Amino acid sequence: MLTDIITSDEPALRDRPLAEACAGLSREQLLAEASALDSFRRTSGNLYQRVRALFFLHAIHRYHLSGETSENDGHIPFEGYRHLLARRFPEAIDFFLASQREQGSGDAISSALAAAYHQLAFQTLADQVRKSVRTVRGNQWMFRMGHPAEHPLRIRRELLAHDGHNYPILLERTPVRMDLTHSAWSDIFFLGMDFPEGAKVINVSIDLAIHGSGKIPAPPVSAYLRVIDRPVLRLTSIDLKATAEIDALADVFDFAKDHLGLLKAAVIASGLIPPGIEGSGKPLSEILAMLVGPGRGLELVSSVNHIPKGSRLAVSTNLLAALISACMRATGQAASLTGELAENERRLVLARAILGEWIGGSGGGWQDSGGVWPGIKLIEGSFAAEGDPEQGVSRGRLMPTHHVFGENEIPAAARKALQDSLVLVHGGMAQNVGPILEMVTEKYLTRASAEWAGRGEALSLLDKILTALRSSDVRALGKLTTENFRGPLQTIIPWATNLYTETLIARAEEEFGGDFWGFWMLGGMSGGGMGFIFDPSRKAEAQARMLAIMSETKTLLRNALPFAMEPVVYDFSINPHGTFATLLNGAEAALPPDYYQLHLAPLLRAEPGDLSPAQRAELSRFASLSRSNPDFRASLSNLLETLVPSGGGSSPQSGALAELLEKWGFDPEQHEAIRRDLLADRIGLARNRLPAITEITDVLPEDYTDLTRTPPSVETIDLGKAALAEGSVAVVSLAAGAGSRWTQGAGVCKALNPYAKLGGKHRTFIETHLAKSRQRGAEAGATIPHVFTTSYLTDGPTREFLESHGNYGYPGPLHLSPGRAVGLRMIPTERDLRFAWEEMPQQALDEQQQKMRDSLRTALIGWARGAGEAGDYIDNLPLQCLHPIGHFYELPNLLLNGTLARLLTERPGLKTLMLHNIDTLGADVDPALLGHHLASGAALTFEVIPRRLEDRGGGLARVNGRPRLLEGLSMPREEDEFHLSFYNSMTTWIDIDRFLALLKLDRTSILAGETAAIAAAIRALAARMPTYLTLKDVKKRWGNGQEDVFPVTQFEKLWGDLTLLPDIETAYVVVDRLRGQQLKDPAQLDAWFRDGSADHIAKLCGWGARG
Amino acid sequence: MKIHKAVITAAGPDQRQLPLQSIVSATGESKTAIELLLDEIFEAGIRNAALIVAPGQTEAFRAAVGSHLPQIEFIEQAEPLGYGHAVLCAKDFTGDEAFLLLVGDHLYLSNRDRSCVRQLLETATREKCSVSAVQATREGKLPYYGAVSGKNIPGSRDLYQIENILEKPTPTVAEQELITPGLRQGHYLCFFGMHVLTATTMRLLEDALESSGKSLPLTPSLAAAARSERHLAFEIAGQRYNIGEAYGLLRAQLAMALAGPQRDEILTMLVELMATSR
Repeated sequence: MLTDIITSDEPALRDRPLAEACAGLSREQLLAEASALDSFRRTSGNLYQRVRALFFLHAIHRYHLSGETSENDGHIPFEGYRHLLARRFPEAIDFFLASQREQGSGDAISSALAAAYHQLAFQTLADQVRKSVRTVRGNQWMFRMGHPAEHPLRIRRELLAHDGHNYPILLERTPVRMDLTHSAWSDIFFLGMDFPEGAKVINVSIDLAIHGSGKIPAPPVSAYLRVIDRPVLRLTSIDLKATAEIDALADVFDFAKDHLGLLKAAVIASGLIPPGIEGSGKPLSEILAMLVGPGRGLELVSSVNHIPKGSRLAVSTNLLAALISACMRATGQAASLTGELAENERRLVLARAILGEWIGGSGGGWQDSGGVWPGIKLIEGSFAAEGDPEQGVSRGRLMPTHHVFGENEIPAAARKALQDSLVLVHGGMAQNVGPILEMVTEKYLTRASAEWAGRGEALSLLDKILTALRSSDVRALGKLTTENFRGPLQTIIPWATNLYTETLIARAEEEFGGDFWGFWMLGGMSGGGMGFIFDPSRKAEAQARMLAIMSETKTLLRNALPFAMEPVVYDFSINPHGTFATLLNGAEAALPPDYYQLHLAPLLRAEPGDLSPAQRAELSRFASLSRSNPDFRASLSNLLETLVPSGGGSSPQSGALAELLEKWGFDPEQHEAIRRDLLADRIGLARNRLPAITEITDVLPEDYTDLTRTPPSVETIDLGKAALAEGSVAVVSLAAGAGSRWTQGAGVCKALNPYAKLGGKHRTFIETHLAKSRQRGAEAGATIPHVFTTSYLTDGPTREFLESHGNYGYPGPLHLSPGRAVGLRMIPTERDLRFAWEEMPQQALDEQQQKMRDSLRTALIGWARGAGEAGDYIDNLPLQCLHPIGHFYELPNLLLNGTLARLLTERPGLKTLMLHNIDTLGADVDPALLGHHLASGAALTFEVIPRRLEDRGGGLARVNGRPRLLEGLSMPREEDEFHLSFYNSMTTWIDIDRFLALLKLDRTSILAGETAAIAAAIRALAARMPTYLTLKDVKKRWGNGQEDVFPVTQFEKLWGDLTLLPDIETAYVVVDRLRGQQLKDPAQLDAWFRDGSADHIAKLCGWGARG
Repeated sequence: MKIHKAVITAAGPDQRQLPLQSIVSATGESKTAIELLLDEIFEAGIRNAALIVAPGQTEAFRAAVGSHLPQIEFIEQAEPLGYGHAVLCAKDFTGDEAFLLLVGDHLYLSNRDRSCVRQLLETATREKCSVSAVQATREGKLPYYGAVSGKNIPGSRDLYQIENILEKPTPTVAEQELITPGLRQGHYLCFFGMHVLTATTMRLLEDALESSGKSLPLTPSLAAAARSERHLAFEIAGQRYNIGEAYGLLRAQLAMALAGPQRDEILTMLVELMATSR
C-alpha cells in the first residue's frame, strides 16, 4: 500500500520513489490506492503525512492515470471548478470524486483532481508556515493587540532627544547574503520543516559596490528611522523614488497602493503598527501618540544603493530585515540600540522578517535574512522539540539555526582567497523563481528517484565545499560549485540553467581556459545573480571581460530571453558585523542626498511663509550639508535642475511610436471607431459574449472524427504520404506573438525562446518546428516549405535570429510572413476592469496575496480613471504600446504580403497548408492527418483534443445546433465550457484553393499580386467575423530592474471563428493530446518532461547536421 | 520572620504631591492618600515606617500623616537618583530586618476580608523569605510595570518561585523570557507595587550604587536578590490604584466609595451624572 510509504519510519521504505511504487499497477489498482490515500489524508493528524498523501494523489492522477484512453472522456463538473477557483479545495475534490464515481475515471476528471490535490497540498503547507510564523514567541502579541490604548511599545528616549526640530536618526546598515550552496533549494521552508537534517546552506554576508563606480564595497542596504513632528508615518524608498505620508491606518495595510509595500510590511512586522490592529478603524494618530507621543510620528527611509532587483542576493529580504531591526531597536524590542545585534535579537529579526514577507504576500527562503548575521555561516534546519509550536506537527522547526564560522574554522586567508577569485555579477535576466520552488517541493515529497539521489549528492557537496573553504582552496571550491550546478541542481531542476548562462560559462572557459575555476549559481536559478571563479592573478581582467561577454551575449539573446536590465559586475567584500546600527546626532543626523532630492523640491516651490518650522530646519540642514559634503553638493545641482522645467517638444519615444504605427499598417479610423464604441459601451468584455439565449451543447459523434480511437486506414495514410512526396503541403507556424504568459508580458519573442534542452541542447520553438518539418520531409523524400508569420514585435528579431543561425540549416524553402495590420493599445475602461476582476470567475489567491492583488487592482482602476479610459496607451516603450489584431489575420497576411504568391511560384503544386500555434509543439505534417484532411474534402480541418482542466478558452461546441469552434470569450456562461468534450488546438489543415474561393479569389489573382482586390476581399471577410475586446498584461520596466504590470485593452479577430461561416466546409478531427497540447507557461515544463511529452516531441524532430 | 518595618517612597519628581491628595475613605472619613496607606500598614501589624520624601517636603508630609506621626521616620532623598536609590535611603532604618516596601502614590483595595498588606505580610511571615506582590496583567500594560516569571509552588494557587524579573519589558521580550505556566495568553505577572524584602536587597542596592550612573533602579537588584536567595511572587487578591495616572485619583476615590456603605448613593450619583452630562 502506498500509505505504508508515507507512514513508515524506515528510511528505505519512507524514501521509496512513488513512480517506482506505481509502476506495474493496473488502472484499477491505482484507483484503489488513490481511494485509500484520499481516506488517509482526511484522517491523518500529521501535517506532512497529509501533505505527502496529497502529492501522491496529485502524481497518480497527473502521471499515472492520465493519458489512458477510457470509454468515457467525461466532463469536469463546473461546481467543482468554482470551488477550486475560490480555493475551497476539499469541496472541489469531493465534487470531482463524486463525478468520478458517476461517470467513471477518465483523463478529464483526473486532470481536475490532480490540480485540486496539488493546490490543497501547497495550501496546507502555506497554512502551516503561516501558523508557525504567528506562534513564534515574540510574534504572538502582535496578533492580539486591537486597540491603540493597548499598544505596549514606546519609542526609546534617545530618539526623542531633539535639538529644535532635528531628532536623532537611527541608521541600520545591513549586508546582503550570497549562498555558496543552498543544497538543492533546501532553504525552502517546507523542506526544512520536514527534512531538517537535509536543510543546510553556507551563507556569506557581503558588502557590495558596482564595479567601475569608484566606490569601495559597503553594506548595500540601509534603513533610517527618526521621530518627526507630525502624527503621520512618512515612508520613503530612495531607490524606487517613492514617498508617502500616511495618516490613515487602512493605508498602512494597503501594500500595492504605492511602491512602499516593503516598508509597510516592516512597520507591521516590527510591531510598530501590529497586524492585530488592522481593520480596527482607529486613527493612526492615536496609535502613534502611544508609541511616540502626542502630535508626533515616525519616518522610515530605505535605500539599497541602486542594487538591481533580481540580484539573487536577497536584497529585499535583507532590506526588510534592516527596517525591522531599526524599528525593533527604536522600540526597545532589541536591547542594543546601536552596534551589532545579540544572537537572540538576530533570531527575532529573522522571525519578524519571515512574518513581514508573509504579510507582504511574498516569500523568501529561510536563509535570506542571512545578512543580519556576520561573515560566513552554516544555516541549518533543526528538529522540533518539546515546547515548540511545531512539535507533533512537523519534524523540523520553522526557524533554522545559525553557526557563524570563526577564523579558527575558516581562516582569514580563505576569506581573502574567495574575495580575490570570485567575480560576482548580475546577468540582467529577470525570472520568476516561484514555480521552481514548487517543483522542488513536489519532487522532494514524492521522492522522485533521480532527484532524491541528487539531493543526497548536494548535501555531500556541501561538506566538500566546507572542507575546501577551511583549507583556503578556492580552486577546489570552484570545481565543487560547478559540479553542484551541473550535477544535482540540474538533475532536480533542469530549468536552473538556460542558454544565456551556458553561453557565458562556455565563453569564460574559452577565454580563460584553466584560469577559469568554476561557476556558481546564486539563489533559485541562473541568469541573474551568478558567480564566476578565476585564478586571482586574472580577476581584474575577468571582471572586465565578463562584463563585455555578458553584454554581447545579452545583445544576441535580447529578443529570446527576458532581460530586465543591463548586466553588471560587482566588487564585494565579506562583512564581519552583520546588521549594524549607529545613532546620528546633531550635524551628523542627515538622510542620504537622494532623500532630499525627493523631499525638498516641493518645499522649494512652496511659498516661504507656508513652510513649517520643521521644514525650514530641513532646508537649512540640507544647505549646510551642501557646503560641507561633496555628495550633497552634487545633489544640490541635481535638485536645482529638477526645479527648472526642461524644454518642451515631443519625446523621441512618441516619434518612434508614430513611425511604427505607420510602418505596420495602423488604421487610425478603425482605432477611433473602436474608441467610440468602447466609451459608448457598444463593445467591451461583457459584449464579447453571445446572447444568453444561445444554446451551447457538446458536439455529437457525427460532428467529428476521433482518430485516437479509429486510426486512419492505410489508404488514407498513403494519400498523405503521396501529398508530402509531391511537395503539395507547407507549414505555417504562427510566430507573431510575444507569448505573454511565457515571459509574463516581457515583450520578448516566444518563438526565439530557448525553452528547454532537447537532444542535448537548448532549442528554440522555431528550431523545434523546423526540425519536425525536416524529419517529415526526409521521410517523404521531399522538402516542406515552412512559413513563420511575424509581427511588428517579432519580424526584425526573427529575421536576424534565423540569419545568424543559418536558418538552422533547414533544407526547404523558409519564409517569414510579416504582419500587415497593427493596433494601438488603449487604457482600459473601469467597466471592463471590473468585469474582468469582479464578474469573471477567477482563481482566488492565498489570503495575503489576495489582499495584495485586491489592493493592486484598486490602484489600477484608479490609474485607468486618472489616465483616461479608452485613451491611447503610450506611456511605455513604443513596441509595448502596439498590439497584434488577432490570428485571424495571419493567413490573409500571407496573401497581402506576397508570401503565398512566393510559395505558389516555388511550388505550383502546393495545395494544402498546415497552420499551427508556435506553442503547439506536437503539431507536424503527419501523413495520417494530411491524408484524412485530403480524403474528407473539407476546406478547413481543425484539430481538437480531449479537454483537461487546464484547457480553458473555448472548444468545439454545437451552437444553436450547429457545430463550430467557440471562443471562451464569447461563451454566454462560464459553465458552458465545462460541457464541451474537446478543446481547440488551433492546428488547421487548409485547402488553399477553397480558402481563396471563400475570399472570392483564386491562384491567378494571388500570383498576379492584385493587392487592392486582395485587400478588399480580406476586409469583406473580416467584416463578417466578430471582434473581441481583450485585456492584456503589459510590463513597464523602470529603475534598476523594477517592473510594473498594467492591464491594457486591445481588440482581435480570431481564426477559429471562420467556423461560424456557413459558406466554408469545415471538419473536426480529434487528435492525441501529445500532438495538440500547447506549452504556454514555463511552469508546465517540468510536467511536460515527466509525462513523456518532451520525449514524444524529440522523436518527431530531426535536428539536422548542425543540431 | 517578623516584619515590623515599612518603607514608603514618595520622592519621585512626579509623585511628590500625590500622597497629599485628600480622599474619602470607604468608611466615609476624609483623609490624605498617605494616611489611608499608613492606616492599612499599621492595621496589618507594621510598627514603624520610613517615608522617603523629596528635599523640603518633610513638613507637608508630617501634616498629612495624621495620627501616625509618632511611628514615622522622614528621610529626604537629596537627589532624584531612581527608585532603587530612594529605597536605599532607608538602609539605616531597616538595618538587618526584612521590611515592607510600598510606593506612596498607590492605594490598594482587597478582594478578601484581609487587606492587601496583611495578605502579603502573612505570606512572607509564613514563607520566611522575600515576597513580591504581583498581579496577572495584560501585555498592553507592560510599559508601566516590572514583570516576573516563575513556576507555581506546588500546593499553592497564588505563590510562584521567581525565575526572572524584567523592568517594563516589551511583549516581544516578555513572550520569550517571562512565560509563567498557567496564565492566560498575553498576561504576565506584574509588580503590584508592594514587596517584602530582606536585607539582601539593601546590600545589593548598595553594591549597585557604585556602578550606577545617574539613576539606580530597583529591578536589577531585585533580580539579583532573587538569584541569590528564595524570592517568591504572591498573586494578591486585590486591586491597586495608581493615583498618579490620568483620572487615577478619581478611579481610586470611586473604588473606595463603591467598597463602602455609601455604595448605592454613589451609584445613583453616577447614573445621574450620565443622564445629565452631554
